Amino acid sequence: MMSVGWSFVEAAARLLARDKREAVLGDLVEAGESTWQGLLGVLGLVFRQEAVLWKSWRPWLAGFGVTLPSSFLLMGVSLSVSWSYLTLRCPELLQKSSLTLGSGTIVLLCKILLLIGWSWTGGFVVGSVSRRTLWASMVLCYSPCLFCLSRFRVESLSRFCLCLFLLPAIWGVHQGLRISTMRVSSALVLAAAITLMTLPSWNSAGQHRWSPTRWTLDWALCWPAWYLVATAWQARSKAGWGSSNGLWSGGHREQQTGMS
Amino acid sequence: MLGEFEYLLITAAAGLGEEAYGAAIREEIESTTGRKCSIGALYTTIDRLETKGLLKTWMGDATPQRGGRAKRMVRVTSKGVLAAKDFYNAVTRVSRGASWAANRTGSAS
Repeated sequence: MMSVGWSFVEAAARLLARDKREAVLGDLVEAGESTWQGLLGVLGLVFRQEAVLWKSWRPWLAGFGVTLPSSFLLMGVSLSVSWSYLTLRCPELLQKSSLTLGSGTIVLLCKILLLIGWSWTGGFVVGSVSRRTLWASMVLCYSPCLFCLSRFRVESLSRFCLCLFLLPAIWGVHQGLRISTMRVSSALVLAAAITLMTLPSWNSAGQHRWSPTRWTLDWALCWPAWYLVATAWQARSKAGWGSSNGLWSGGHREQQTGMS
Repeated sequence: MLGEFEYLLITAAAGLGEEAYGAAIREEIESTTGRKCSIGALYTTIDRLETKGLLKTWMGDATPQRGGRAKRMVRVTSKGVLAAKDFYNAVTRVSRGASWAANRTGSAS
């Protein structure tokens, strides 16, 4: 059984959880299955497991509700942050804009905080909602990034300015994978802070009028923060009031089973 | 209510008793039904039944004929027994009056 072909079966079985891999490979050896039958059996199991995960709403929400739209929008915000920084650094550009150095610094600081907040909360939702289909969310995040990176042509800015959001987003995903839900008060403060910082930007720069397009796009980035509030609230309702003291009300994600 | 394959799996596992594990259940299903049972169908159904609380699984000992790999042992829970009984009773009830069921009863008596 330990032929070159069988090593393909073992490689495919690495897509399974450790215990299941052990049982499946043992069953195949015991049944005396051929390499081809073994490979088809293992790949069939992997496919079925993946299909079961996608029956749930969770991977769809994470992939197409958060990751894909947020990636495009956050690339725009990253670009805006980079452009604001460049404007402040170059006096010629600053004179052409309507900003002064003081107001420009505050605007830049708000933009940076919003970028971190939006990216982190989006990443947290993706990590906590679709743990086992994270690969799909990663594909849906990196594909637009690579697409835009390949077409980015601005001499004064590095193309990697588009990817400023990735670092806080990955941090958020990491936290989402590790922790089940945030504490209600922490989630509420975070969501309120993000929303409050978003409000001034609804007046388009220089035009001082409400922009529905901008409002919609900003809400597309804000809703993960409010989703965290809702899930934290739901978790507290289930667990009972005042049962947690730390920043996070949930246990470690590793303790939970059956999450997609 | 259970699905057909779920019922077959639970019944095979119950029949094997302490010796119920993946390969043995698969062999039992294939030999009694004469149909091929894929390892994918077997393990996804075991997972689903375990999630429903109808089966309990744990990792058993490794044996040389399995290349030193451990078995995933299976035991039918009391809830699983009840679900299998419900399925069996439903099939028996719905089969009353069916020509093949009547013939079978006739030949048996």
